[in-house]
Amino acid sequence: MINRVTHQTVQRSTLANLQVSLGKMSDLQSRMSSGKVITKPSDDPAGTAKAMQLRSDKRSADQFSRNAADGQAWLTTVDTALQASVTALRSARDLTVQGANSGALNPTAREGIAVAIDGVRDAMLQQANTTHLGRPVFAGTTDQGVAFSVTPPVAPATTPTYTWTGTAGASVERRVSRDSTIRVDSDGAAVFGQGGTSVFALLDTISSALRSGADVSGYLTDIDGHLTTMLGGLASVGTRTNQVTTAQSAIGSTVVDLRSELSSVEDIDMAQTIVELQMQEVAYKGALGATQRVLQPSLMDFLR
Amino acid sequence: MSTFSGLSTALSSLIAQRQALDVSGQNIANANTAGYTRQRADLTSVQALSAPSMFSAQSGTGNGTRVSGITRMGDSFLDTRLRAATSTASFQSARADSLGRLQSTISEPSETSVSAQLQTFWAGWHDVANQPSDQAARQVLLGDAEALVTQISGGYRAVESQWSQMRTETQTLATEVNTTAKAVAQLNEHIRSIQVSGGTPNELVDQRSELITKLSGLVGASAREREDGTVDVMVGGNALVRGVKANEIAVTGSFTMSGAIDLTAPVGLTWAATGTALWLDSGTLASHLADLAPDGSLAAAIGSWNAVATSLATTVNAAHRAGNSLETPPVTGRDFFTFAPGSTPPALGLSVALKDHPEQVAAATPGKGGLDGSNADAIAGLVDAPGGPDRVWRDFVVDLGVRTHAADQRAAVMESARSTAENLQLSSASVDLDEESVNMLAFQRAYEGAARVLTTMDEMLDTLINRTGTVGR
Repeated sequence: MINRVTHQTVQRSTLANLQVSLGKMSDLQSRMSSGKVITKPSDDPAGTAKAMQLRSDKRSADQFSRNAADGQAWLTTVDTALQASVTALRSARDLTVQGANSGALNPTAREGIAVAIDGVRDAMLQQANTTHLGRPVFAGTTDQGVAFSVTPPVAPATTPTYTWTGTAGASVERRVSRDSTIRVDSDGAAVFGQGGTSVFALLDTISSALRSGADVSGYLTDIDGHLTTMLGGLASVGTRTNQVTTAQSAIGSTVVDLRSELSSVEDIDMAQTIVELQMQEVAYKGALGATQRVLQPSLMDFLR
Repeated sequence: MSTFSGLSTALSSLIAQRQALDVSGQNIANANTAGYTRQRADLTSVQALSAPSMFSAQSGTGNGTRVSGITRMGDSFLDTRLRAATSTASFQSARADSLGRLQSTISEPSETSVSAQLQTFWAGWHDVANQPSDQAARQVLLGDAEALVTQISGGYRAVESQWSQMRTETQTLATEVNTTAKAVAQLNEHIRSIQVSGGTPNELVDQRSELITKLSGLVGASAREREDGTVDVMVGGNALVRGVKANEIAVTGSFTMSGAIDLTAPVGLTWAATGTALWLDSGTLASHLADLAPDGSLAAAIGSWNAVATSLATTVNAAHRAGNSLETPPVTGRDFFTFAPGSTPPALGLSVALKDHPEQVAAATPGKGGLDGSNADAIAGLVDAPGGPDRVWRDFVVDLGVRTHAADQRAAVMESARSTAENLQLSSASVDLDEESVNMLAFQRAYEGAARVLTTMDEMLDTLINRTGTVGR
């Protein structure tokens, strides 16, 4: 069927075409100005699903990065405290060696060494009770404010009791990825020992032995035992610091990857959009030009 | 054959050409009138008197011309096609429109959407896990939870307000259908009486045709012409207009969404006179009724908001109950979220149970020390839980996106079909100015010719009357 063409049909179809052309222009224009391909789910349902998942992953990765940074701070605190404790224990060992030299020491000198060892014990206790943001790092989940509480001696005992306040098996963990956590505190009971077998109790024993004039050379083995444990704890902290650092850099690159992936799903290709916009502009101008040619002439112009 | 019969032949042409010119004038005057169908003056030659008798004085020439009628150049098949296309296109476009409106209420994907707020909420749990003793972290978490709850109830309210808006629109559309049907019935009456008295009701037929097309857009009506010039308008198999009588339709059912969706009083359409239910399958009104239905797109959206609220409360509460609070002694078994009692929808009834008690947030796992954060960490891990709020929400958004996308495409296809049908209809019915110019020219020339015939005859008669018998003068 050959359609009859009238001014009205031409006018209608021209208007419709101009409308389509202008609609495409405005679509491209809004993409250009917003910089996004997807502004509502129906623009690209599959892309929307992907974008939502990527956004969620990116937010999680950001949080993991925060967690790792916090863990790093904990581990640094633990590391510093353990280093200081090892140094202190080494000086205590030197003092003990000095005190074991029993023949050359008079009671005043022994008292002096005992006082020095007491000082070392206090320094170590202070290190063991180091806190990070108000929480003792050697008894991570305790709510008592200190890792080791000191109970003054009750007669007939002469030395105080050192109680570890932490919970056995409990630890402070930082989640650095969906499936893995890293322990960021240190088990005070393992590193310093607890109760009668603690390093503090040992130093108390040594200082009272010095005061009573007994031979202290036998305690050197015990000190060495504690020193080994502490160095072991220090090594473990080092390993975990390393883990956190690795995790942090992994998270950093994951965030970059996610961001570029999200951008490839959501953002426009600038060059492509500009070219498309220009093509559309040419088409629109063409349509306007054609309209001018088609709508203006009528037979009236030629009849006299 | 009389002396003056030639004069009357020329006169008949003068009259007929002038009438035809009038019709062209009417066409040009209505070149831009919506719904106007071009008209033609039908010229018929008048045959000579031919009484078959022995002494009949018959020359065989006819007696000029006359306008036998004014035809409306419409094509009822193209009208029917346009109406069918209009009813489907209106249905699909209303569908796409409503889904688009629904989609605009969820603002995905963006930094302010529900999924972004859910992420913030989970991140809050991580912070509490990192700092179980920090009241600030707990307060922030509760604040984020409150914001999430507000966003969920806000989303529910947005759907609800769209529902009541559509309910009102439905009422308005039904009224419009009734008014239009009444107008069609009145036009039927006028047209019938004009036809009976021998007139041509072309302009009224145009008006009626325009109204019927409007009705097919609204309720998917189809028209059936009758011999007396009236038209019956059929909707869902029954007559909306029969002859000069219009039947009213009425919208029944609840005015509130809660009443309509739980099936106690679903929104429906009935014939006002009999109360019989009326089922539509196309037109804007059909789309509105489908959206308002208990299984419509708005009800589905409501269901999804409720599912997100329920899933959020269920998954978080289950994990939260296992944890210890920060109080001394620690308390376990508390719910984080709670629902309002009674039949309030979950999305509206959801609230944070521990709102003013940050210390009651159960971050610790029992037996792991007072400042343990592993339970909070476990709750933060629910971000990926199967059946968790994030998954439910994402499924809803993607499903809505797919349905809107499909509806948009269907609407575009149907609109192009409608526009093709309209173009066809217009190409037969619309006024072409060039054509009318040519016609005007033709009528003018014919008029001039008839006038010349008249002059010629006049001159002949002048010769006969004034110059005969004056020989030799």
